Amino acid sequence: MTGPAPVRRPLASYVVGSTGLRRPSADAWRTAGITVGCVALAMALAALLVTISDGSPSEVVDALYTGSIADAAGWSQTFVNAAPLLLVALGACIANRAGVFNIGQEGQLLIGAMVGCFVALRLQGPAWLVITVALVAAAAGGGAWSGISAAMYYTRGVNVVVTTLLLTFVAAQVVQFAVLSPSLLQEQGMGNGPARPQSDAVPEFLRLASFGQYPDLTIGVGAILAVVATVVLAVLLGRSRWGFRLSMLGLNPLAARHAGIRASRLGGSALVLSGAFAGLAGGVILMGTVFRLQPAISNNFGWDGLLVALVARSRPGLALPVAVLFGGLRAGSSYLASTGVPSYLVDVIQALLVLAFVVPPVLSALWGRRIRNRGAVPESPARPSAAAPAKEEVPV
Amino acid sequence: MSHDRARTDGLVPALELRGISKRYGPVVACDAVDLTVQRGEVHGLLGENGAGKSTLMKVLMGLVHADAGEVHRDGRRVEIDTPLQAAEHGLGMVHQHFSLIEPLTVWENVALGEPGRIDKDAVCADVEAVGKRYGLVVDPTRTVERLSAGERQRVELIKALRRDPRVLILDEPTSVLTIAESAALFDVLRTAVAAEGRGVILISHKLAEITAATDVVSVLRRGRLAFSCRTADTSAPELARQMVGRDVSLHAEGAALGLVVTDDPAKHLSPVLAGGLDAVPAEPPAPQVSADVQGTAALALHGLCVTGPDGRVLLDSLDLEVATGEIVALYGVEGNGQATLGDLLSGLLEPDAGTVRVDGTDVVLDRPGALHEAGVGVIPEDRHRSGVVLDMSVAENLVMTDLRRYSGRLLMRRAQVRAQAQELIERFAIRTPSIDAPLRTLSGGNQQRVVLARELSAGPTVLVAAQPTHGLDVGAIEDMYARLREAAASGVAVLLISTELEEVMALASRIAVISSGRITGVLDVAEASPQRLGMLVGGEAA
Repeated sequence: MTGPAPVRRPLASYVVGSTGLRRPSADAWRTAGITVGCVALAMALAALLVTISDGSPSEVVDALYTGSIADAAGWSQTFVNAAPLLLVALGACIANRAGVFNIGQEGQLLIGAMVGCFVALRLQGPAWLVITVALVAAAAGGGAWSGISAAMYYTRGVNVVVTTLLLTFVAAQVVQFAVLSPSLLQEQGMGNGPARPQSDAVPEFLRLASFGQYPDLTIGVGAILAVVATVVLAVLLGRSRWGFRLSMLGLNPLAARHAGIRASRLGGSALVLSGAFAGLAGGVILMGTVFRLQPAISNNFGWDGLLVALVARSRPGLALPVAVLFGGLRAGSSYLASTGVPSYLVDVIQALLVLAFVVPPVLSALWGRRIRNRGAVPESPARPSAAAPAKEEVPV
Repeated sequence: MSHDRARTDGLVPALELRGISKRYGPVVACDAVDLTVQRGEVHGLLGENGAGKSTLMKVLMGLVHADAGEVHRDGRRVEIDTPLQAAEHGLGMVHQHFSLIEPLTVWENVALGEPGRIDKDAVCADVEAVGKRYGLVVDPTRTVERLSAGERQRVELIKALRRDPRVLILDEPTSVLTIAESAALFDVLRTAVAAEGRGVILISHKLAEITAATDVVSVLRRGRLAFSCRTADTSAPELARQMVGRDVSLHAEGAALGLVVTDDPAKHLSPVLAGGLDAVPAEPPAPQVSADVQGTAALALHGLCVTGPDGRVLLDSLDLEVATGEIVALYGVEGNGQATLGDLLSGLLEPDAGTVRVDGTDVVLDRPGALHEAGVGVIPEDRHRSGVVLDMSVAENLVMTDLRRYSGRLLMRRAQVRAQAQELIERFAIRTPSIDAPLRTLSGGNQQRVVLARELSAGPTVLVAAQPTHGLDVGAIEDMYARLREAAASGVAVLLISTELEEVMALASRIAVISSGRITGVLDVAEASPQRLGMLVGGEAA
């Protein structure tokens, strides 16, 4: 082929994540530009919706702002929401690096919360020990749940995306069953009225501490945990032999095998680890904010955390700011709901804004490829589009 | 118009390119190239990789827009913006890499991309009619993935010819074909050209093909038309010189250009296609160590059996030994188990039965990386598939098989990785913008050098080179040959898996022939004649 072949990376590699090589800044600028456009479009659509339903767009914007970043209390809420998102995203980064696409974080998070709840309510001992054991158990629960998918994939070749997704619904049923069974986790009735489908509250002294006092900035243990994990993981993925091997496995499994990597061991452990991070997020939510196991405790943190990892292109360092952004959106939306805007509208607005941040990188990648294809020779042997349409790889 | 006619003695050329230029950033891919193809003429286009051949053809096919220049068809100026327009103007192309969809049948592939309703019976009838007319027999209802490389090539040709192109472009059509298949292909071309007045552009970097099969030849060098004349008026050495831009030693590098030197001094250079059957090795290899192979085999394969997922026997109790310092070639038609053996020796699959011994020790084959640790270096047939990670950097690709050597308990030792990469880049003359550049940005030859550098830097006992020069240009091929000889001279046992007779003859001291997953014979290169090899390739004992 002729000339310097333009760098054309498969779209999948945007998900799998790069290995520290820097992409051309033209792409970054394009992505930024598209993002601004998308956010503006989402805001415009949201404003339209609010106007149609007799609300005031300016009040909505004000509420979103007040609830997330206007003051210390807003920031506190943002961080409370960002911590589990970040933990889930870190797990997704690991799995994506290894080329196994775990999309069942929502279920792994539920199982983690359930196992953590069980330990917190049943285990006797000093608070620090029970808290630690409960968090470790939550991680182990999430890891075991994704481990089922890993076992199915590496022994029988069952697709990971399918099993992790479907196991999410199984997990929801399991948690439902647990909080409906008095012998398991259903709350002990207070005598008046039937017991509700939720567990007893985790006792005060077992709740995760937070530093700072309302209305000042408060930072929970969960957030600190998430940030520390981010730093550790960023170093490990970027610098360690383990991270190198994960990338190799994700980017070219056959070359990895030639280099002595056993996919079932490395990829399987990556999948288990990603489930463990989701489970830990479940434990943090349970013991940091909700305190009771409820079927709705996961509250889309699993799905949104996965989105964070996708937007951050599986880079822990990028996942941190993206998680804060998404956390802010969640915090702002809760505040918005408390101002009386109908909750369905809040959901739609939040979804629009999330989309506005998720779509641009993919759009930019597609667009960039088109520009390069038009102006230059693709680096692989060209196939005439009339004879055989070029195969486009679509992430996940 | 009138001056066109004057220039071509009243003949309107089927195709004329005038002053085609194309730049990619600072790189000039085509620089004011003129090219004229007459009706009924086979026009050879020679040039190394990067000389601009592919860009020129992409301009013709509407895949790339030229910055300047005009295309004329039958004397009329035409604009070609899309591949569909190219087809409308009667231009058809057969690409170097097959663009067939494997799970589909022959007739479906042939009909693919055509507008309007698809009539299976009509297409099938067409395939058979075209096949009969040109001697390209293939069953239209067969699935492409079950076809051999030669049959796939036929499908591509049928597909192009069915659209009745006035100018047919063939891009390296023989790179995966056997000698016999190549010869058959050129017979077809002759028919299509002479009897029907089509024009053909044949792109190649095999000189033998060009001299045997073309009427006119043009040479591109660094984007410019370096040379053009009637094939009868030039010679292979002249063309080689024009292509590379310097004199090429035909003994050392002849094989790189697809030449085999014959005994007959009058026919100093005899193209394989014309006089291939009385050819002898281009260079008798120096080390003749076959006498005491038994005792010192560095690599010994015994009774290897592999069955494919569809139950097909891929390797059928294959035995082969390679001694220290020896180059043994495994020669045969593509698809007879070479790829399976390559995968096996790369550690990508485990045999159903049989052993691999390296330096007298059995290798535990179910552990990934065991072969590499035992000292088996592999240059895989398809480097993109298992040899490299395109999205990792050059440095990372250079160390990836020996990570423990370049890391502490947990973290990689970056400085050590960089130092090693720097050293290998210099030692193996790898041309790369930087050691951190993604491997994807390197040319094919340099990617191949990265693989070679990495595998040799581990100090292997055995080096398996599967089609090591496939898709490389002359310079890179010469370099690869020199490196393989050097490796053998330094005591590495080299197993060369190749389908190129010239390559096998030029490099190996012994030639093992594989057919249907078995070794049908092993010949010393001195006793290997193309006839005997041909019989063995066909599965007969010689």
